[in-house]
Amino acid sequence: MKTLFNRRGALARMGAVLAGVLALPVARTAKAAVQNFFTSSGAPKGYDPTEHKWLICLDATKCIGCGLCAEACKKENDVPMGPYYRTWVERYIITKPKPGSAETRGETLVDSPEGGMHGFPECPVPPDQIEQSFFVPKLCNLCEHPPCVQVCPVGATFKAPDGAVLIDKNYCIGCAFCVQACPYGARFLSPVTHTAEKCTLCYHRTTRGLKPACVEICPAEARIFGDLKNLAPDDPLRKFYESNRTQVLKPHLGTGPRVLYAGLDEEVR
Amino acid sequence: MRRFRLPPQILRLVLLTLGIVGTYLFARTLLVPQSFGEYGWYRGAALEEIASRTPVFAGKKACDECHADIQHKLDQFEHKTLSCEACHGANREHALNHDVVPMKVAGSLCLRCHEANPSRPAWFKQIVVKNHYGDKCTDCHLPHQPSQSP
Repeated sequence: MKTLFNRRGALARMGAVLAGVLALPVARTAKAAVQNFFTSSGAPKGYDPTEHKWLICLDATKCIGCGLCAEACKKENDVPMGPYYRTWVERYIITKPKPGSAETRGETLVDSPEGGMHGFPECPVPPDQIEQSFFVPKLCNLCEHPPCVQVCPVGATFKAPDGAVLIDKNYCIGCAFCVQACPYGARFLSPVTHTAEKCTLCYHRTTRGLKPACVEICPAEARIFGDLKNLAPDDPLRKFYESNRTQVLKPHLGTGPRVLYAGLDEEVR
Repeated sequence: MRRFRLPPQILRLVLLTLGIVGTYLFARTLLVPQSFGEYGWYRGAALEEIASRTPVFAGKKACDECHADIQHKLDQFEHKTLSCEACHGANREHALNHDVVPMKVAGSLCLRCHEANPSRPAWFKQIVVKNHYGDKCTDCHLPHQPSQSP
């Protein structure tokens, strides 16, 4: 009687399956290599993230609240319309204390209509009632120890070697844990892609040797951007360091921001 | 002397372990993205994907290639810190292809920065529009040399 299976045939089949399994990773690597060779992703060539370390400095004493940065950011990164901002400008108005209240200052009012994109409405407090008023530009603080990266359950957000905190859109599941975790409110869920979105440090610009859009457009030089690993002797970053006393936002959280501020008031958080 | 033979139950255990570990390693090669671990605990290719966006703003350097004369003028006056695209708008299209006509600049742009506002720093030049002369900024100020008159 002829059987369906014999030892030789079964061994041959098993061998073939094993060979196929072993060949699979090799085939995948080869396919990726061929794809890399023939399709250009449009990404700039020759950028090595380990060779750079970006830093942003913000001078609150120079910000004039024109909102060009917020507008430029929206344009440059195609940020969805509506209350979604990767960078924005806040207006702080600190009123005079009530007479006889034994306090140094009154109430603090903070607003940021449309992220300051189209300027600010008239001051809600009469000028003689204002103790101090100023603008503070805000964006992702490029933390050294980013809480948003820690909480991501799928590892879709990460800190690149050059200091940028980025999101892998293909792996983000849109759970918004990171939106809650960010102490600076720099993240949001995109209503278009339903994934988390944030400042990418204009990664497509910085990798091409351009400045981020907000830094490029700022007319008052309130935003300074530079590469700590390749500092020129007359780098504006170095000048900023040397001539200003700087601080970061919420230092007690231990996030280690790479966004430095000059001229901040204690009311700013 | 009797030859040592692995007890069959141990042999089965070893085979089972090898099978489980093998299946795990195989599944891992399928599931873990190619570039995972290139820089850290994430997909290295994501960096390239994020960087592949096309910039919208050309940057001051790109303008300088053709309009160096205007930039030279600008550099001598108060508006030297301004990027061209702060007033002229994002014009990378124009920088790449000179046939694309850049956007026309409208007058209200001046007030975006120079309208008096108590929140603006005191060193910054501001005007209260209704107390300021004339109604067109460019009647008295050259935009590239704001302290000069036409």
